[in-house]
Amino acid sequence: MSVRSFATTISRSQDRLIPLLLLPVALIALGPILRLLAEGFGFGQGLTLSHATEVLGRDSTRIALGHSLLTAGAGTVISVLIGAAFAFVVALTDIRAKAALVFCLMIPMMIPPQITALAWMQVTGPSSVLLKTLGLAPPLGSPQPLYSSGGIALLLGLQHASIVFLTLRAGLRLIPADLVEAARISGARGPRVWAQVVLPLSLPSLAAGAAMTFVTALGNFGIPAMLGIPARYSTLPTLIYQRLVSMGPSVLPEVAVLALLIGTVAILGVLANRLLLRRRAYGLVGLSGRPLSLSLGRARLPVEIGFWLFLAAILVVPLAALLATSVIPAYGVPLSLSNATLHAWHEVLFRQPVTLRAYGNSLLLATAAAVILMAVAVPLAWVIARRPSWGTRVIDTLVDLPYALPGVVLAIACILSFLRLPFTQVTLYGTLTIILLAYLSRFLVVMLRPVQAAVGQLDPAMEEAAAAAGARLGRRLRTIVLPLAAPAAAAGAILVFLTAVNELTVSALLWAAGTETLGVVIFSLEDSGDTVMAAALASSIVGLIVLLMGMVQLAAPRLPKGCVPWLD
Amino acid sequence: MAGLSFEGLTRAYQGAPAVDAIDARIAEGEFVALLGPSGCGKTTLLRLTAGFETPDAGRITLGGRVLADAQDPRGFVPPEERNIGIVFQSYALWPHMTVARNVAYPLEVRRVAAPERARRVAEALALTGLTALADRAPAQLSGGQRQRVALARCLVAEPGAVLLDEPLANLDLALRGAMQEAFAAFHRRTGATMLYVTHDQTEALALADRVAVMKDGRIRQFAPPEVLYDRPQDAFVAGFVGDGAVVSARAAGPLTGAGVLVEALGQRIEARAADALPTHLCIRPEQVAITPDGPVRARVASCTYQGGRFRLGLETEAESLVTHSPTRIAVGESLRLAIRHPWAFRDPDVTPLAALQVAEHA
Repeated sequence: MSVRSFATTISRSQDRLIPLLLLPVALIALGPILRLLAEGFGFGQGLTLSHATEVLGRDSTRIALGHSLLTAGAGTVISVLIGAAFAFVVALTDIRAKAALVFCLMIPMMIPPQITALAWMQVTGPSSVLLKTLGLAPPLGSPQPLYSSGGIALLLGLQHASIVFLTLRAGLRLIPADLVEAARISGARGPRVWAQVVLPLSLPSLAAGAAMTFVTALGNFGIPAMLGIPARYSTLPTLIYQRLVSMGPSVLPEVAVLALLIGTVAILGVLANRLLLRRRAYGLVGLSGRPLSLSLGRARLPVEIGFWLFLAAILVVPLAALLATSVIPAYGVPLSLSNATLHAWHEVLFRQPVTLRAYGNSLLLATAAAVILMAVAVPLAWVIARRPSWGTRVIDTLVDLPYALPGVVLAIACILSFLRLPFTQVTLYGTLTIILLAYLSRFLVVMLRPVQAAVGQLDPAMEEAAAAAGARLGRRLRTIVLPLAAPAAAAGAILVFLTAVNELTVSALLWAAGTETLGVVIFSLEDSGDTVMAAALASSIVGLIVLLMGMVQLAAPRLPKGCVPWLD
Repeated sequence: MAGLSFEGLTRAYQGAPAVDAIDARIAEGEFVALLGPSGCGKTTLLRLTAGFETPDAGRITLGGRVLADAQDPRGFVPPEERNIGIVFQSYALWPHMTVARNVAYPLEVRRVAAPERARRVAEALALTGLTALADRAPAQLSGGQRQRVALARCLVAEPGAVLLDEPLANLDLALRGAMQEAFAAFHRRTGATMLYVTHDQTEALALADRVAVMKDGRIRQFAPPEVLYDRPQDAFVAGFVGDGAVVSARAAGPLTGAGVLVEALGQRIEARAADALPTHLCIRPEQVAITPDGPVRARVASCTYQGGRFRLGLETEAESLVTHSPTRIAVGESLRLAIRHPWAFRDPDVTPLAALQVAEHA
């Protein structure tokens, strides 16, 4: 009897450990956002909205909000046009080399936005090395056409097209072929089938993708920072950045209100996205049958050529321009076979202490975030799947928030939370730790979803068989769940690593001398006129990213379904 | 090996009992099948025994040790300490381990020393005919081979009882026969107490020492296969187990050592019985003889070939019957039948009032 009750105490105390896992996760993932919310309502100065109304009433706020809505809105339209065209053709037709098309379409989203902006700036404008080399450059003194709302919107649109693509493709997959066949048997011809069956059924997915694209474009900092700041064209993220950089932490209450403003708009977008996705699921799931597949017939080759030309235009041209800029001896000099040099590459990769430090910091932060999140995600995914409670449901729902909300919002939230560590005099501001904490909060969901997909596909009988064999919870997790979730966890870790290496927005607000990240350094090199070095550093990062993406792609056949976002 | 017993065992989901006050004893080394339609509670009973579910009321004991007692929740023994082996319908083999590691796992968990472990794994693999496949991954095996790995894995730890959850449901027909023989041979060699869940009566009748027929969370009859077939206790068991017909009947004479005279199909029929006031007759196909001078008239409603004989579905004035015939008989043809030694029983689902009326009529 005593032996038995001892044993059950152990197995219960194992379950009692669950809050010990959930609580820190909730604190790190959601704490900063809640702290920011409190600030907006006059935390520490009595409950008041007067401060908030004052900030919101300013002209600079109204102008920046207007610019943000305009560029994000126009960018979303561009993303929808590109993403929808790719999604319809890739998901519904017999076009060849789909995997390669999708991979290439994903690259712009994986490249840091400030690199995208830098690369496009090398394509256009009077000092474009590419145009000069080809003899097509506009005369010196003519304006850089991308320094405008149109330029910002265009690049936002290119950058986020894959969000629309992924959401819409997933929705199109749900449309069973027999719906279209039924329409054709009823006598409907091609265009009518598209207008009356395919389009209405795919509309919720399209709208959901557009809402998410809008939220992401709204929070984008790299593109408006590179293109807007030189033209004195401010959006909410760049306004927050400029206020904080010029005034320091004393303006925190003010920028907190701005962060809440952009956060509110973003949350509306996220809610629209969730609502639309729920509508999509209704009525279509449960229907079995082949997904829709149409033959392009003789149009196939022209369509293929068109799509690849487009990808070349948005991918190869800017990256070639970036590469060209990185190998010239000085900015403004046209490139020729005789003057090409790897001097800038040598500088950024081996000599400049600041770029070396940035590489070190970024790789350290990305590795630490990936490793810590991997250690947390496997038990967390298991608890959410096998021990559901209100606590796990809250975490499962809200864990998206730090990732979906604009990076500036999270950065401000983290500064507020860790400027004075609660109950101590310790400040984390200006340390790598605060950036790491922000990354843990922001990228938890990137890690968690693939692992959840893997744990969700595990037959619970696998664990029950281990329990019947005598294995306790800890051993079951270690010997059964962990090895089976490991491929997904690895994929998630690479995704976290990729996203963290790319990261600019959060670190732009959190860095201090000595804790620069790659994103910050590219931005400040370009800002101080070292465009050639910025281009060399950016090129090396693009190379690293494509390499990592390629690794995930190659590992794909061994990964469970649904754990790499761009693979089926 | 040890005997297993359930006392007043109850488990409800959202108020609806899935297992309802079950009392049963399974002797040491006995092979018991839980037979019933889907949703009858047989799998819940199995999961309660394994410890994956906790009872709302009642007690489970294995070899005298209380595994679960609703009165004493602290005394609940978790699955990992029950020393019970289980074979899942999906086999639940761990895909990241070889066959040998799958089988060795329970011994690793129990910290059995390596040489002893190797010996017992080899023994278990030999017993299930898997020695040649020891280093394969489960994904490289056929369905029947996976089934045998699951069996080897659960017996290697010498469990107090072995639970099998519809182990043949995922196998094709030809393999099922072979696996049934493998289970029977395995039971003979190990003498394990086995609880076998199935919805397939052929499997249950072929394999088990005793069969518990379940419906709506209760055991309707718990008896050896031949008793279930010959002397079903109620209309559900009579209809669910074995072929044949259940027709209503009323007593027309006193219960004697030989049985009772009943009125059914418009005739007086001599039936075997244990109850003086039967409400139904269970008439198996072999108890219906086609004879030119038989008293019951019937029309052939269906005729299906079953290999070596034909199964005839017959319609009398008010009831349906089943019999076998060595030759094909055209549908629609009229026959005369004699009913010989059917089994008369009182169905508990018929209200006592009806039974009383039947008695008055008699």
